[in-house]
Amino acid sequence: MARLKFYCDAERCIECNGCITACKNENDVPWGVNRRRVVTIKDGEQGERSLSVACMHCSDAPCAAVCPVDCFYTTEDGLVLHDKDICIGCGYCFYACPFGAPQFPQDGAFASRGKMDKCTFCAGGPEENGSSAEYKKYGRNRLAEGKLPLCAEMCATKALLAGDANVLADIYRERVIYRASSSLRRGVDLQKQNLGGNPGAGS
Amino acid sequence: MNAYGLLWGLLLALLSTAAQAQNDTPPQSGIWIPNPGADLWKAVRQRGQPEPSTTQVQGLDSNQLINVAGEKFRDWRRERFIRYAAYLLAGVPVVILLFHMLHGAMKLEPSGRKLLRFDLYDRVAHWLLATVFLFLAFTGLLLLFGRFVIVPWLGLDAFSPIASASKEGHNLFGPLFLVALLWVFLRFVARNLPAWRDIVWLLKGGGAFGGKHPSAGFFNGGEKLWFWSLAVFGLLLSLSGLLLDFPSYAPSRELLVLALVVHGAAAVILVAFSFGHIYMGTAGVEGTLEGMRDGTVDANWARQHHDQWYAEMVREGRLEALSEAQENRAETTTGQLEEGRT
Amino acid sequence: MTVAELVDGPLWTVALTVFVAGVAWRLLVLIATGWKRDLSHPRSGSLGGAIRGVVGRFLPSQGMAGRLRLHLVAGYLFHLGLFALLFFAAPHVDFYRDRLFGFDWTPLPHWAFILAAEAAFLGLLMLWLNRVLNPVTRLISESGDHAASVLTFLVMLTGCLALARSHETLRLLHFFVVELFMIYFPFSRLMHSFTFLLSRAAQGAHYGRRGVRV
Ligand code: HEM
Ligand code: SF4
Ligand code: SF4
Repeated sequence: MARLKFYCDAERCIECNGCITACKNENDVPWGVNRRRVVTIKDGEQGERSLSVACMHCSDAPCAAVCPVDCFYTTEDGLVLHDKDICIGCGYCFYACPFGAPQFPQDGAFASRGKMDKCTFCAGGPEENGSSAEYKKYGRNRLAEGKLPLCAEMCATKALLAGDANVLADIYRERVIYRASSSLRRGVDLQKQNLGGNPGAGS
Repeated sequence: MNAYGLLWGLLLALLSTAAQAQNDTPPQSGIWIPNPGADLWKAVRQRGQPEPSTTQVQGLDSNQLINVAGEKFRDWRRERFIRYAAYLLAGVPVVILLFHMLHGAMKLEPSGRKLLRFDLYDRVAHWLLATVFLFLAFTGLLLLFGRFVIVPWLGLDAFSPIASASKEGHNLFGPLFLVALLWVFLRFVARNLPAWRDIVWLLKGGGAFGGKHPSAGFFNGGEKLWFWSLAVFGLLLSLSGLLLDFPSYAPSRELLVLALVVHGAAAVILVAFSFGHIYMGTAGVEGTLEGMRDGTVDANWARQHHDQWYAEMVREGRLEALSEAQENRAETTTGQLEEGRT
Repeated sequence: MTVAELVDGPLWTVALTVFVAGVAWRLLVLIATGWKRDLSHPRSGSLGGAIRGVVGRFLPSQGMAGRLRLHLVAGYLFHLGLFALLFFAAPHVDFYRDRLFGFDWTPLPHWAFILAAEAAFLGLLMLWLNRVLNPVTRLISESGDHAASVLTFLVMLTGCLALARSHETLRLLHFFVVELFMIYFPFSRLMHSFTFLLSRAAQGAHYGRRGVRV
């Protein structure tokens, strides 16, 4: 079976937040929940980069390890999905997740925050594929329809990719090679202009 | 494989260019290839000085790409805490049982003469704290161990409602623990101020291993140790619990994780301690439970376990055979038998 | 019929019927018993006395206040908390709208609902502990008193356990205990929720007529 993964290319992400809108719309995400978010590092400074993050579908997921009711399960495709019928809304997964992916729909006193919601890789939940119960709890099951997550499909610069990890790695390797050669060209250009060796000039 | 396993792999593979150009200083000779984002990934992984980052999404720590406390929390919970908590909570009752089998209960020969030990408010406060404590311990331990004990036995579908009920019940009763704790603290603290003889008492193990019964006042060294542990760990429990009850007021996930760690550890320590307390109050020492139930204790019990207090009571002329009617005066709230009032 | 259907359907009808009919019958019987004719010369109005009796008893009489401190504090915590819970908790308001009255009113915000629950639990626990730990109240309490306390506690506890409103089992458990409570209600000490008015008014009227000030 394929291992499904997201990959976001920081050299391409332009922080348009289109992936977030696509996700909310496709999955009818509860108010206040963002299954995906774009984080910008060094905002407004030289070297600014943006990355779109959601659940990374970890191979040995911390969220699943700390959950007191063991309500995460990993699919054959390596997706980490969550069963809202079992979840008790304690929030441990949110504390343990490196990416802050699990979120709560409400924000009540006495930790009454409803059931945790997280990115499903547009693969729904334990309900029957494509059922209305599944849609209500988890959003669209695009995977069952043979489609990839909408956030990645929508990404205008193809910074955000989703799919088989091997295929993604191939695509990225290709990008890196092109990029390296263009960097190399830039380096040669710099040297020609006699600017090489001066760290202040490059970057 | 490590938690981040594939993830790190991906990041690293994808950023091999960045990795090559770890050092920013360009080589003296050859072609210098400028690196598009040298420090970026250090910042992402929060190594060194994390860069301030922004996001359009509002939420706790939502501008943070990687939360390093999460993995520590998982490691603590799954690799250490749950295991050692299980050892402790299973071990203490075994030790108590062994002790009881070897040593037996401390017997009491009733004299028929009674002393008033705890007045009505002492008793209500004590049992309020005890009730709330037991309920919180039961529901809390269900949340902690249920996944490993109940799920394999009853299954996930049966455990989910049990866990949900435990969580809601635990969250709601938590603040009552603080109220009861403060009440008990205020009522009992004066009688629990440490004295030199308490240290002697503790060093002699309360006389449990032969020898003369060490001297004790109203409370003995062991009881005072329990009182102060309860005060300290109980306060830690309450404060961390209250933060967990209102997670939206927490400034970061790090603090919530810290609260969970402190809460769990303090809870397990107190529960283990409470086993000892419960044993001493019931099966361990005859005649002790009566004090908290009816407020009165037998004079011989007092002489045996609290000689200084007994002597004081005798000096003040409080030792009297309580008749049925006088026993009813245990309802007075002042801690003293008031003459001329029935 | 599954247990769930039974609890949600017929048992609820039975409980509601027993509750309404039972309470009405007991009140009617009490009122129909009538009053003994008071041949004394009226010193002052009985109506004023009745009102004073009902209202004035909300505070303990002088001299008793000190001895009744725990009763006073715990009693008010419990009864006010329970009243707020019963009529203004959002899940209850929804229930009244869907299953009883067809209309609703503004419920308490979640935090106030929980605060009321905390107060009610604290009050009930203290009252019951006092009942069993105070030699006097322990002596005069009988099984009916304990049954009423325990049943009320169970109603509140199961309600608290079902707070997440996410598990049908937990809701049914709460509902089942409520039904037991309602069936037990008319034939027990729990009737004091209604009869306290009658007894206070009757005693107040009696005192009023005789000119006794309490
Ligand atoms: C003021 C008192 C307390 C408060 C406010 C409180 C609150 C909490 C909260 C909010 C949680 C997280 C549960 C969840 O949301 O699923 C928790 C967990 C827990 N509590 Fe308490 N609690 C209190 C006292 C106690 C006491 C007295 C005990 C035991 C004697 C206890 C034992 C536990 C345990 C074992 C856990 C599970 C910890 C874990 O899963 O890591 N708590 N408590
Ligand atoms: S929710 Fe977080 S911890 Fe769980 S699989 Fe997704 S990224 Fe990993
Ligand atoms: S919030 Fe739900 S999924 Fe997350 S740890 Fe708690 S029970 Fe598990």
